[in-house]
Amino acid sequence: MVKKILFSYQNKTQLIIAMIGSFLGFTFLVTSIHYLIRVNEFGEGEDILGNNTMIIQKEVNNYSSMKMTKTDFSQREIESIRNESFTESLQPILSNSFGVSLQTDSELVPYFRSDVFVQSVDNEFTKIDAAAWKWEPGDEFVPIVLPRDFLVMLNTFASAKGIPQVSDDLAKTIGFKFTLYNDEKKDWEKVKIVGFTNEVSAILVPASFMEYGNATFPTSVPAKTTQLMLTVKEGRFGEFENYLEKRSLESKENSMIVGKLKSVAGTLFSILIGISVITVFLAGLVLIQYAQLLISRNEYEIRTLLRQGYAPNHIIRTIILYFIKVFAIIAGASLLVFGVAKFFIDELLVQGGIHIASGYTLLSILSVVIAFGIYTVVNYFNAKKGILKSR
Amino acid sequence: MNIHFDKVIPIPLSGISHSAQSIWGSSFSLNKGEKVMLNASSGKGKTTFTHTLAGIRNDFNGKIRFDEKEITSFSPTAWADLRKNKISFVFQDLQLFPQLTVEENLQLKNQLTDTFSAKTLKEMLKALEIEDKWKVPCGILSMGQQQRVAIIRALSQPFDWLIMDEPFSHLDEENTQRSLQLIDERANQLNAGFVLTTLGEDHSFNFNRTLNL
Repeated sequence: MVKKILFSYQNKTQLIIAMIGSFLGFTFLVTSIHYLIRVNEFGEGEDILGNNTMIIQKEVNNYSSMKMTKTDFSQREIESIRNESFTESLQPILSNSFGVSLQTDSELVPYFRSDVFVQSVDNEFTKIDAAAWKWEPGDEFVPIVLPRDFLVMLNTFASAKGIPQVSDDLAKTIGFKFTLYNDEKKDWEKVKIVGFTNEVSAILVPASFMEYGNATFPTSVPAKTTQLMLTVKEGRFGEFENYLEKRSLESKENSMIVGKLKSVAGTLFSILIGISVITVFLAGLVLIQYAQLLISRNEYEIRTLLRQGYAPNHIIRTIILYFIKVFAIIAGASLLVFGVAKFFIDELLVQGGIHIASGYTLLSILSVVIAFGIYTVVNYFNAKKGILKSR
Repeated sequence: MNIHFDKVIPIPLSGISHSAQSIWGSSFSLNKGEKVMLNASSGKGKTTFTHTLAGIRNDFNGKIRFDEKEITSFSPTAWADLRKNKISFVFQDLQLFPQLTVEENLQLKNQLTDTFSAKTLKEMLKALEIEDKWKVPCGILSMGQQQRVAIIRALSQPFDWLIMDEPFSHLDEENTQRSLQLIDERANQLNAGFVLTTLGEDHSFNFNRTLNL
């Protein structure tokens, strides 16, 4: 009966307009947050290096070939790049100054041996399990990350020799060993492939192994820092690219393209989230204004109910429950439309060759729940204030 | 529940002089079960008296207590409980819901305490000769019919006191007597008292007390 008194004789045009506004805001909000998360996840797990992590080096030109310009980084240059706003973290890549060669060490595969170049990076830049990425003298084997190009080359060699090619998984089970040497001595260490990379051209080893090799097999060639491992902050690829161009630095093009695409899409979705939040806010204001208008138009009814012995909480509860239903319709419709839109957007992305995770993101659903919660709480205090004013 | 007045003067009436018999500025008590006529000419504060006891107005000097509690200390929830169980009102402007039927208006009050069955409510309407208005919206009833609905509504709850502000102003003498009889029976049933504000007419009822404003 109280509900009938308060809601049956209202003009609902303003309510419907506010509901449509909120519905659009909620839908854009959930969709943009979902795809922002998916865009940021894009490319994860495809490489052993961390997200937005790449190797930079100085461009090699004719002058540097003639040793007229340097290709190594001074400590001052490293610090300068570290202090740039786009830099999340940065570390010089350690290279070997000792001689090292890799050879097969199994009767199951044909003999193969090649001089190689090894580098080490800190574990914070890789996605390798920290427990697997460590070495100390006396360990059974040295864990390594092999450039995928190296495996391709190995398979080309195997094909030419008429022997079976090896897959990634098989390569991880094949025995290899390093020969470490300088002019005076030589030693061997068994190695195990723990991963592959498209981003690094050298074989990656743990830093402790590199330090051991450089200390145990010293040569007259001084160790130089020619490459830096750098993680770029999310959405700062534009700045990063400009910096590289201005300073004649270079990085692998494919990781730059993915980073730039993520940066552009991330910016677009962030703008959409901003617009959605404003829409949700404005529609929320209209809904609250409608609730205020409802209370104001029903001032006589509310006052009379109070004078007849109805508790303020009873009337507040009736109003809140009504608006909770309104908000639930908005949130439910938004999630439903988002589900349908997501199905078609995901299909379009797959057709375009972009494979993203198909599940729903918790944060996007949570954003609707939070918006619903804020609407309800604000409306409760609004109703309470309005009703206690009607005596 | 007894009602105690301690030198109460509504602030809007503090500027005018009141007779020695006026309750304004006096100290007195209304004891449960008393049937009181509050007699005053227009503009002396009958509605102010009703609204003050209903907790609608707080603009008065002095103290009013329900038993030992000052009424200015009651929270909105405490007032709701009092209006539901202890003190009932027939306001001068009746305060019915014009868009609701007689049945809905009565049940809106009655369902708070589940005091009467629909049958009893209809019998009370019959006693006041408006039983045919059960399904009629109150907004289209005459003022006299609306007054009778408001009286029955006020009786549809437990109470210690029934405060009525000129409830018979649009009723003929016959309907006034019927209404007064219904009110008296219900008050006796609950061992409750009532205050009837009038312009001087006692409707031949044997009041316990007469107060003046």
